[in-house]
Amino acid sequence: MTRPSEIKPREGEQEAALFADWIIGDEFPPLTFSITPEIVEEYFSVVNADKMNYLIDGRQAAPPNVIAVYLMAVMYRKYPPQQGGIMIGNTFNFYHPIWADETTEITGTGRLTNKYEKKGRKYICYTVNFHRTDGVHLTSIDHISAFPN
Amino acid sequence: MIKKTILQTQNLFDNYGQLNGDNDILHYDDKYAKDRGFRGTLGHGLMYTAYVSDVAAKKYGKAWHYKGQLQVKFIAPVCPGDQLTVQIDETGEAECSSQFGKTLVGKALLRE
Repeated sequence: MTRPSEIKPREGEQEAALFADWIIGDEFPPLTFSITPEIVEEYFSVVNADKMNYLIDGRQAAPPNVIAVYLMAVMYRKYPPQQGGIMIGNTFNFYHPIWADETTEITGTGRLTNKYEKKGRKYICYTVNFHRTDGVHLTSIDHISAFPN
Repeated sequence: MIKKTILQTQNLFDNYGQLNGDNDILHYDDKYAKDRGFRGTLGHGLMYTAYVSDVAAKKYGKAWHYKGQLQVKFIAPVCPGDQLTVQIDETGEAECSSQFGKTLVGKALLRE
C-alpha cells in the first residue's frame, strides 16, 4: 500500500519552489505507487461516495478519481510545495476502471505545461498521466493552481 | 437533474487531508485563512471534484470509467458550516453551490 503522505512532500517541510523556479516543459520524474483496497475504502468514506454508483457488471470499481490523491505528489517531488496554494481547476479524462477489490500498481508521469501571472496571482499549469504498470492508461489530469510566491 | 447535499465540516476537510497528505495551512488553520480574507478554512478542491464525479458516475454508470471527462473550475471557497449542493443536469452541466452562492462550475460528459 502506498499512502499519499508516504510519497508526497508536505507543505512547509522543505524549501518550497517559487514561481521563478518552475520551467515550462519540465518533465516530472515517474512516480510508481500502489492503490490498495484499503485506500479505496478510505477514499469512499472521505468523499462521501456511494458504492452503488461504481458497480460495473457486478464488480466493485473504485471512484476513478481516487487517483487524484496522488496527483500533486507527482509534481511536488520535482517542485516542493508552498503554503497557501489555491486550486483553480482540473480536467480529468478516465480511460479504464480502477478495481476496488485488488491492488493496482500505477506509474504517474507529467510535465509543467504553462505558468503565468494574472491580477497579482501566480498560476501553474501541469498535466499528469497515470498508467497501470502493465501499460493500461487509467487517467489523465490537467491541473491549474495559484500560489502566493 | 441529479443532486446531493453535504454539510461541510472541519472534520471532512481533515479526513481528506489525512488521506491525500495535504498539509496546506489553508485547510486547517482558521486564523491564517481569515487573515488571508476567507470566511474560514477551505475545503480541498479535489474533494469537490470527487463530489461531482460521484454524481456523474451515478448518471453515466460503466461508461464513466472508460469515457468520462470531467472539467471543473473552482470559483469560490467552501468553508465549514456551508451546506453544499452538488448537481449535474441533463446536458452534463455541473455545479456546486452553498448558501453563499456558486462554488464550482464545470461539465461532466462522455467522450465520443
